[in-house]
Amino acid sequence: MKFNDKDKNDILAAKLNEQAEAQTAVDTTAASEEAYSLNDDRRVKVLSPGAMVAKRFFRNRIAVVGLVILAAMFLFSFLGGVISPYEEDQLFYTETIQKKEYAGAVRNNDFRFLASGDAKFDSAIQAQVVLAVTTGQDAVTYRDTTYHVNREGEDFYSVTTDGQATLVGIGYKDVVTSSVEGQKLPFDLVFATLKAYTNDEDAFELGGEQYTIAEGGVVEKGGEEVAFVSRYVINPISPDIFLSRDFQEQLVIALESGADKFTFTDENGESEYFIDYKPDVKNWVVRQETATRTYDRYAAPSAKHWLGTDRNGMDMLTRLMYGGRVSLVIGFIVELISLIIGVILGGLAGYFGKWVDFLIMRIVDIFYCIPSTPIIIILGAAMDTMGVDPQIRMLYLMLILGFLGWPGMARLVRGQILGLREQEFMVATEASGLRVSRRIFKHLVPNVIPQLIVSCTMGIGSTILIEATLSFLGLGVKFPFASWGNIINDVNNTFVLQNYWFIWIPAGICILLTVLAFNLVGDGLRDAFDPKMKR
Amino acid sequence: MSNTNQNDLRENQAIPTVDGEDYLLEVKNLVKYFPIKGGFFGRTVGQVKAVDGVSFHIKRGTTMGLVGESGCGKSTIGRTILRLHDKTSGQVLFNGQDIFSLSSSELRKLRPKLQIIFQDPYSSLSPRLPVGEIIGEAVREHNIVPAAEFDDYITDIMKQCGLQEFHKDRYPHEFSGGQRQRICIARALALKPEFILCDEPVSALDVSIQAQIINLLRELQKNFGLTYLFISHDLSVVEHISDTVGVMYLGNMVEFAETEKIFDHPLHPYTQALFSAIPVPDPNYKMDRIVLEGSIPSPANPPAGCKFHTRCSKCMEVCQYAAPHWKEVEPGHFCACHLYNDAQEQAEAEQAIPAKAPAADGKKA
Repeated sequence: MKFNDKDKNDILAAKLNEQAEAQTAVDTTAASEEAYSLNDDRRVKVLSPGAMVAKRFFRNRIAVVGLVILAAMFLFSFLGGVISPYEEDQLFYTETIQKKEYAGAVRNNDFRFLASGDAKFDSAIQAQVVLAVTTGQDAVTYRDTTYHVNREGEDFYSVTTDGQATLVGIGYKDVVTSSVEGQKLPFDLVFATLKAYTNDEDAFELGGEQYTIAEGGVVEKGGEEVAFVSRYVINPISPDIFLSRDFQEQLVIALESGADKFTFTDENGESEYFIDYKPDVKNWVVRQETATRTYDRYAAPSAKHWLGTDRNGMDMLTRLMYGGRVSLVIGFIVELISLIIGVILGGLAGYFGKWVDFLIMRIVDIFYCIPSTPIIIILGAAMDTMGVDPQIRMLYLMLILGFLGWPGMARLVRGQILGLREQEFMVATEASGLRVSRRIFKHLVPNVIPQLIVSCTMGIGSTILIEATLSFLGLGVKFPFASWGNIINDVNNTFVLQNYWFIWIPAGICILLTVLAFNLVGDGLRDAFDPKMKR
Repeated sequence: MSNTNQNDLRENQAIPTVDGEDYLLEVKNLVKYFPIKGGFFGRTVGQVKAVDGVSFHIKRGTTMGLVGESGCGKSTIGRTILRLHDKTSGQVLFNGQDIFSLSSSELRKLRPKLQIIFQDPYSSLSPRLPVGEIIGEAVREHNIVPAAEFDDYITDIMKQCGLQEFHKDRYPHEFSGGQRQRICIARALALKPEFILCDEPVSALDVSIQAQIINLLRELQKNFGLTYLFISHDLSVVEHISDTVGVMYLGNMVEFAETEKIFDHPLHPYTQALFSAIPVPDPNYKMDRIVLEGSIPSPANPPAGCKFHTRCSKCMEVCQYAAPHWKEVEPGHFCACHLYNDAQEQAEAEQAIPAKAPAADGKKA
């Protein structure tokens, strides 16, 4: 580095200028500087005890985690319910496909008989005919009349008398039914159809008309269906179902081909039909697949229901949000009730001592003797029988839990105040003639508040647990209101436990996290309020 | 008595004088027993005779030192004078007015006149109030100054006590022991008291701070014409600050005199023993200590006769049976000891000795 003289001079001049400016700046701000000088009061930041507590609290990482969890839970519960598109007790439905029994089919193995015209062909003769067919005879005699049994085709016989002259009737196993509902087919047509069908012919002529037998046994005359022949007898499962001709044809085709399902379209649309063969009764059961509107129960998590649905078909996530609201509100109100009663009674006992203390502490002892769990269970059962409205029931629950919870708080406050009352600063307030109210509320209460805050924070956690337990047992918050406890109550068998994790795991996690967070925050506050903690 | 406020007060109240003297506080035969509850029904089964008939008086603007062993009833006297405890019997006259005859509302009005400074500057300040509030709340309560002057008044008092104005917003935990004691003094002083009970105000502080506080108290006394009752174990401090000194033993006052007199020639054997224990900061000085044997008897069951006879080096037979009279042995020098009996008193005292064979071992018990 090398400067010539001019540069050096410039630098020097600039430096001097700077110093001069700085000096004038100092002079002009001298007055204000006095206010900002490094006096003791300016240098040390003054912290109130509250600010100190906050500072110590926020240094405790675990407690801050607890606080964050709590904040999240509050947002989830109180804001979530507002944001959620669903209502607390909104029911969801789903279309499910159910197989309902629709029709029955049986392969006909009994002879059926049809008399020709007015011929006498009663059941006694029919029995003789069956006997003849099975024993292979071609004639039977009944009441001095000889009946000839002529084989016309497969399982199709004609019965004649008078030396083959007169046709009495026919015996057959394949059933011919008219295509027109309720219409009786003429004997000739039945005879001709069966003759053709049993001999595997696909056409015949009758009375100058040409008939064809299509696949599946449809008898057509000039392209028009007139009858249907089949070995199968098909009946609807209940009288209100009408089996159409088409359906029966379809079914027979399916049966003959050995298929186990077929589709058929009727006026209600296309449905699938399932065929089950039951070997023990040798018949087929046809089941129709029908769409049914049902509650969307235990639906798995999806885009529509992020945590699925519960037993009643309500959205789990929404229930969780509303349940959190109920659980937290109950926790707070119960704790508030015990706080108010506890502080007033404990404060009175501690400050006035003597017989007031004795009386209140004996009441506390009595309350400690009350077995709270049986009482709550009995009251829950009583409210069940009285049919108390779920909303009012929730109110009662808070009152009961609050009334059972105050003795602990009263003892805490009394103990604290007894200790503080003997402190010299309380003697000093007496010596300076302060009013009693001021001594209590300005000197005693502020010194008890830390313990109260800690106790309440922890207390809310345990109250939530108690509420969850009661609701789980069905004694606390009742349907349709949700609470984390009664959400878990859905899990009342191992099947649900194993298969529907989304019912109980989220609610369990909510309870766990909230109670844990309350305990963490409570611990953090306790440490923060302890002035000996210098972390 | 330079302070104008104090002078105003004196004009307002008729000051009774006894023997032409201006006594601010007179304690007459004050007794305070604490009951001992026992048994299933909590009956009183005994009494702790914490203060058993004590009389003294303090002139306006002076300091009386009260010394004695731990547990001899010094603090109880102090607190009974302020009516923080109820008395058992006796009288406490403040400006000629019996404090125990006041109703509670009258007492509350009188409270600012009688203040107290505690031994422990840590427990005597409410931890959740800022210092300005601690000092000022009772000022506001009693309307000591108009609301407009309140802030300036508190600042002024704090400065008098060696505190800065900005300390007002701070909390007690931010102060050292000495500063806290100054806050306590400021709190007492802010109420414009006439009488301050200093209940061992320096024993919790280190020696350098002790001197500061003592000097502060003296300075304030000079400025405001305060009257102190100064309770302490520390005899050198008492000698330094007091105009008169009372010595207590087991609930009784055994000697009372002006400071010079009592330190020059203590009359009572207990006082002699006590004063012989004052350390002298000279390693070559051979201390001639009178060592008391045993410990202080239980105030619940004090010895008969002179309470000190169990430990007294000059114990006589009468001491075991007759309690000595409280008498003025020399002008202004009171003492309760049989050593200073005149012939008549001696004869009276000896009547208390049970009629039995004259004890062979005589004086020593």
